[in-house]
Amino acid sequence: MLRRRWLGRLDVATLWTTLALAAAGLLAIASATHGDPARAGLWKTQLLWLMVGLVVLAVVVAVDYHLWAEFAYALYGVSVVLLLAVLLFGKEVGGNKSWLDLGPVAFQPSELAKWTTCLALGAYLADRVRGALRLSQAATMGLIAGLPVALIARQPDMGTALTFVPIFCAALLLGGLRWRWVVGAAILAALLAPLGWQRLKPYQQERIRTVFQPERDPSGVGYQIRQSKIAIGSGGLVGKGPFEGTQSGLNFLPAQHTDFVLAVLAEELGFIGVAAILGLFHFLLWRGILAARSSQDRLGTYLSLLVVSWLLGQIAINVGMVLGLLPTIGVPLPLLSYGGTALLAVMSGIGIVMNVRTRRFVN
Amino acid sequence: MDYRERWELKEYLSEQRLSRRVLLLQVLVSTLLVGYLAVFWHLQITGAEEYRALAENNRLRRIPIPPTRGVVLDRNGAVLASTRPALNLVLVREGLVDAEGQLRRLTEVLGIPYDELAQRLVAMRSRPTFEPLVIREDVGVAEIAKVEARREWFPAVEIEETSLRDYPDGPAVAHVVGYVGEVTESQLAAQAQEAGLQQGDVVGKAGVERAYDDRLRGRRGWKLVTVNAVGRPFGDAEVGRVPEDGSSLRLTIDARLQRKLVEAMGEEVGAGIFMDPRTGEVLALASTPGYDPNVFAGRVPAAVWQSLLKDPKRPLHDRAIGSFYAPGSTFKILMSVAGLESGSIGPGSRVFCTGSAVIYGRPFLCWKKGGHGSVDVHQALVHSCNVFYYLLGRDMGIDAITKYGAMFHYGRTTGIDLPGETRAVLPSVEWKKKVRNEPWYAGDTISVSIGQGLLAVTPVQMATMVSGIATGSVPTPHLSREGDFPPEKLAVRPETLAVVRAALADVVEEGTGRRAQLPGISVAGKTGTAQVFKKSAGIDADKLAKEERDHAWFVGYAPAENPEIAFAVVIEHGGHGGTTAAPVVRQVLEVFFEARLPKAPDPRLQAAATTRPGGTDAAAPLAR
Repeated sequence: MLRRRWLGRLDVATLWTTLALAAAGLLAIASATHGDPARAGLWKTQLLWLMVGLVVLAVVVAVDYHLWAEFAYALYGVSVVLLLAVLLFGKEVGGNKSWLDLGPVAFQPSELAKWTTCLALGAYLADRVRGALRLSQAATMGLIAGLPVALIARQPDMGTALTFVPIFCAALLLGGLRWRWVVGAAILAALLAPLGWQRLKPYQQERIRTVFQPERDPSGVGYQIRQSKIAIGSGGLVGKGPFEGTQSGLNFLPAQHTDFVLAVLAEELGFIGVAAILGLFHFLLWRGILAARSSQDRLGTYLSLLVVSWLLGQIAINVGMVLGLLPTIGVPLPLLSYGGTALLAVMSGIGIVMNVRTRRFVN
Repeated sequence: MDYRERWELKEYLSEQRLSRRVLLLQVLVSTLLVGYLAVFWHLQITGAEEYRALAENNRLRRIPIPPTRGVVLDRNGAVLASTRPALNLVLVREGLVDAEGQLRRLTEVLGIPYDELAQRLVAMRSRPTFEPLVIREDVGVAEIAKVEARREWFPAVEIEETSLRDYPDGPAVAHVVGYVGEVTESQLAAQAQEAGLQQGDVVGKAGVERAYDDRLRGRRGWKLVTVNAVGRPFGDAEVGRVPEDGSSLRLTIDARLQRKLVEAMGEEVGAGIFMDPRTGEVLALASTPGYDPNVFAGRVPAAVWQSLLKDPKRPLHDRAIGSFYAPGSTFKILMSVAGLESGSIGPGSRVFCTGSAVIYGRPFLCWKKGGHGSVDVHQALVHSCNVFYYLLGRDMGIDAITKYGAMFHYGRTTGIDLPGETRAVLPSVEWKKKVRNEPWYAGDTISVSIGQGLLAVTPVQMATMVSGIATGSVPTPHLSREGDFPPEKLAVRPETLAVVRAALADVVEEGTGRRAQLPGISVAGKTGTAQVFKKSAGIDADKLAKEERDHAWFVGYAPAENPEIAFAVVIEHGGHGGTTAAPVVRQVLEVFFEARLPKAPDPRLQAAATTRPGGTDAAAPLAR
């Protein structure tokens, strides 16, 4: 009886939105790789991951989010251990030690860490914070978010490390940090920016410069941005049709099945396709906010909003990069980019949102 | 822990604050996504055209389609240069496994040094991998069989079709037809815009291949090919412009004479040119040593290049138009014309030759030790008496010599349609002042009078000069049958020409040119020796080492009474023109007058006559 009650209230709309986005991702991955025999089967792999992801999502939704919160710190601890393991025994791909080799599959602990960090921060906020956030509490949250960031930066995977920033900022915002602190921190950050710039590696500085002057380096970083914009722009209103993209079909696009997957869709499905994708994301995020607003308790609100911030952050960075508005950093587009662990992590996050929405009534 | 802190139990304030901040997040979500959608709109709707064009440019490459080069034919339609299909053995570098093993086996099977192959493979590194490495160009059936028989050894070796310029007569036509090669950077820079040359185009480098390059080359076509990011072509090409093949070029050359001339020159170093004195049509032109133009058709091995460039005999240099020599006694033809025309002498004027003459207090020798005795202009020319011409030169002065020399186109290019013609030197008072910054000495005139000293001429100038003597008009030598090359009427009295012509006929009849005699055909000519070393004067040529001997000339025309062919042959270090150059002329004339000569016992001539495809009866008048 109990089960029927929450199953009947299951957030089906969010589930369908998730599946629609994942399907668009499968299409884009298939199109982006069909010209390359070595990668042509990737969409099938992604489809398998999606199946697994649905099972994981079911599990996440089935277990009451309060119980997830009980285990939040434990899960967080596990993911930190895995991050350490990756640094010690990880498989290096393209200069980044981000994968744990598990025989047939490779696992990216940093993706899992996003989810567990959201859980941990949500649990901490709900458990400890009353009224306005104190500075000591803000510092504690800084540690919770900072530990995985530091470990991930060692891989070094700056893109993934960066995605923790919006989650942390949202936690401060939700915790009710006084605006004066927010403004103060912003000013401090602005003052420290030149120092941070110096800490960056030359190639990273180059990427940031390229955003402002795409013509600086047409063969390197600028080339990627330029090809991405050509792919998007040449799609026009209705696109060239699935599998008809010349930019991706002929390998002009960099990382076209991972970070630049949206450019493939923009080229093949046109503005209408892009509008549909962005519309679906918008709907998904609004569902998350709706879940937060209608949650029966603080924890549900916090967890939903942290997940929304996480997804929003990744979408903002990825789309900005594809459009050439932001530096080129490897941040995948949630649900669409090729990558198993990332898909599982995002679906787990959505699972939490659905969980909160489903259990919005006090029983 | 108890997370179940219901909202209804919370303080009102904090709920207010959270609600405001959630709203902030909501606004942020919508603003960001709508903002991004606006950027997409800007790119995809406003900029669609621009980006579509960029994508097309990315995708499409214009690949040039080379035109087929025009055929070069001789006057009878025999092919001197054409393009033939050829096969290259290539190594496909894409997905190449065990390159070393394949190269080693190729070395084993084809005998190409392994180091060379490995080096070429390294050199190709900067090129896209779909461009294959050419292992060997223009392979024959035997070599293909060698590779095919061991197919399993060579998974990456393929056969590629290409086309190569082909010269059936090879070295025999080298300096007439020239050769082709890839356009050089400097050529591109010099005439790229005008001639529409592009990197990789094949252009003529010498001979008529170069002179008529524009018409032979044709016009490049192009096709649009879809390429990927590394430039690999995909799918079918779309032809944007069909190439226009080069036009064929018909030459005035007679391949039979050409072959004979080169053969007759043999191992000698020198040049020869035979032409129709009435029109200037060049029938044969040779410069020896030559080279095989087929060598340049493909990739030229560095060793071959070096050997051609470093050869002291300069095989690539066309001596017929590009080298100048002292004309020696052949200049006496012009001296006679100048003397008679200027009035310095008459047909009956006589000089007594004692073997030397003292002029300006210096002795000048005649080649004949005892002297020629009393000679008039006819005898002086027939027996090549130096003393007669020393005195004539002294009396006439350099200005007259220069004037008549210029009339016969000495000291300037004849206008032959070949690249690399030199003006040579017709000395004059002004010339010496300008070039050497020295005054003209009377002694200079004496040397020039017998074709030595400062004077220098090219074989083609000599042939032009004798054509003028033969016909009364100076023709423009040319190799193309098209175009207008009108002869230039000489301002010389017929009587003068008659005197000179009679003497030239006697040179062959009874004088120094007897070796050019042909039965039934009267040949007119003049021998000459161009001094190389001062010491050679008056010494028997046979006693000198080859490189110390004088250059030997023989110039003239035939038949004497109605000239159809004029010639100039020079043999470097050939000693006396009568002994070395005249026989070369005779052999070529034998072929030219084949039908009019009594049945030759020589079976080779028979063979030559019957096996020439497209050959016509040589007796037919060489009308244009």
